[in-house]
Amino acid sequence: MGRITLDQVTKSFGDVEVIPPLDLTIEDGEFVVFVGPSGCGKSTLLRLIAGLEDVSSGQIRIDREDATHLPPAKRSLAMVFQSYALYPHMSVKKNIAFPMKMAGIPKDEQERRIENAAKVLNLTDYLDRRPGQLSGGQRQRVAIGRAIVREPAAFLFDEPLSNLDAALRVGMRLEISELHNRLATTMIYVTHDQVEAMTMADKIVVLHAGRIEQVGSPLELYRTPRNLFVAGFIGSPRMNLLGGPEAAKHDARTVGIRPEHIRVSRESGNWTGTVGVAEHLGSDTFFHVHVPGWDDPITVRAEGEVDLRHGDTVHLTPDPDRLHRFDAEGMRIA
Amino acid sequence: MATQHSRAAARLMISPSVILLLGWMLIPLGMTLYFSFLRYNLLMPGNNPFVGWENYAYFLTDPAFQSAIVNTLLLVGGVLLITVVGGTFLAILLDQPMWGQGIVRILVIAPFFVMPTVSALVWKNMFMNPVNGLFAYLAKALGMQPFDFLAQAPLASIIGIVSWQWLPFATLILLTAMQSLDSEQLEAAEMDGASPLARFWYITLPHLSRAITVVILIQTIFLLSIFAEILVTTNGGPGTASTNLTYLVYAESLLRFDVGTGSAGGVVAIILANIVAIFLMRMIGKNLDA
Repeated sequence: MGRITLDQVTKSFGDVEVIPPLDLTIEDGEFVVFVGPSGCGKSTLLRLIAGLEDVSSGQIRIDREDATHLPPAKRSLAMVFQSYALYPHMSVKKNIAFPMKMAGIPKDEQERRIENAAKVLNLTDYLDRRPGQLSGGQRQRVAIGRAIVREPAAFLFDEPLSNLDAALRVGMRLEISELHNRLATTMIYVTHDQVEAMTMADKIVVLHAGRIEQVGSPLELYRTPRNLFVAGFIGSPRMNLLGGPEAAKHDARTVGIRPEHIRVSRESGNWTGTVGVAEHLGSDTFFHVHVPGWDDPITVRAEGEVDLRHGDTVHLTPDPDRLHRFDAEGMRIA
Repeated sequence: MATQHSRAAARLMISPSVILLLGWMLIPLGMTLYFSFLRYNLLMPGNNPFVGWENYAYFLTDPAFQSAIVNTLLLVGGVLLITVVGGTFLAILLDQPMWGQGIVRILVIAPFFVMPTVSALVWKNMFMNPVNGLFAYLAKALGMQPFDFLAQAPLASIIGIVSWQWLPFATLILLTAMQSLDSEQLEAAEMDGASPLARFWYITLPHLSRAITVVILIQTIFLLSIFAEILVTTNGGPGTASTNLTYLVYAESLLRFDVGTGSAGGVVAIILANIVAIFLMRMIGKNLDA
């Protein structure tokens, strides 16, 4: 079981309050991703749950038990660190065995669990190596192996993929998702990469300056961002945000439209502009269109190969059903 | 840049320093070797005949020689033990965040800046003196008999003095090593359920092993030639109780004015130092690889 509840949790470093009162419930077996820009408090929040930082006030419950003042080792949580934090002087096997050795689990049981973890993570051939002799992806798997063998109530991942190169990151993303499907254990995953968040999460928690901006499934966040911050953060490329007279037409302070919800045409449309930069990806084409009178270029996604180049005049038509309206406080107007 | 011409020029350019260094080493070594085969006593000036291995035989069979070897090893081993264990302990303490950290660290380093003769004299006269010393005063205040450190336990006292001097060095090296330990490793160990003691034993100590190796190697080189502390405190006595090999060589050449035997002792010391070095490198040098 791994149901984690945060109740009015705050954290201050000296006079600086990094996490204002915060409530959050993480259900058993859920894959929850904390996402936000750097410095938004997502890692701090994870460390509070792990017990590596003490909460300033509030309560953390794990499976209905008050864990607020429990030491990290007693919370039955396992953590995978950004730097992997493997013990460099121990072999892979000893690294994985370390938490079990500390817990005093019998030797044969240790062997069995190590064998299992090694099989799951494709580490069987590397058990006698030192971490220094492994590649980044293998080290990451050892770190996960060390977490698995403890059979924790929940796994905590602190930006585990940010030290890997792009290709490996996609692979590890899949592996972690598969691991979650197989183990069905609660996982909390911190990242600043919204693509990781969208692809892996059951539930995304968007954080900004220590506050929870929105909690929801990836598609909920995509379809109905609660405010301007979430609207701008979720989705790639970013949502176009327009103010001024264009927004006033829709009775709002700001309107947002995603690049993929704008139709591009050579003949006619609501807005007319010239193409600035065109990014041809093959499957998609992204245009940065300068509309006269507007400060920022509009980003537009067209499907497939569209033969428009720098300097061409284009007409844009937003999909009216997909328009997001925000009021003066930046909150969504339903 | 690695043409034939530039390489020849480079050799020419570095030759002065190489020649100077070689001369610096080889001439004294050669002269020591040469003297060690002569009967060369300053009290009997005149011709210095070649006597073969006589000086060596005399030096090695001297009863003082055996005790000097034992004392040298005890001195080196004792100081190493105290400084490595104490240095690790102090480094852990200094690594904790505390008020006035900068000043405390400077204070800890201070003994290293005091000259050996001065610190030995301060210890001898102000602390260990059985009449005026601070320890004697403390003992008397508690109603006990003052302990005459340098007469009753001369070697242990010198080990104490030398340890006091070298503790800062060990502390400093181990502290910097400790600060380079990735804090995430300690946190991971904490999550894994390791107690503070287990974290020290399984994470911190292995991380320090290389630094400890460096401390042991460097200190051994210097501790084998401890001299000033012995000269100003016990003069190697009582008897030969605090005479190490360096002091014995000094005693032969400059107290008994027997340069020939002193030189032979110097050569023996060189050989012994190299044996120790080989053993050390074998035992712990592998820590320095990779």
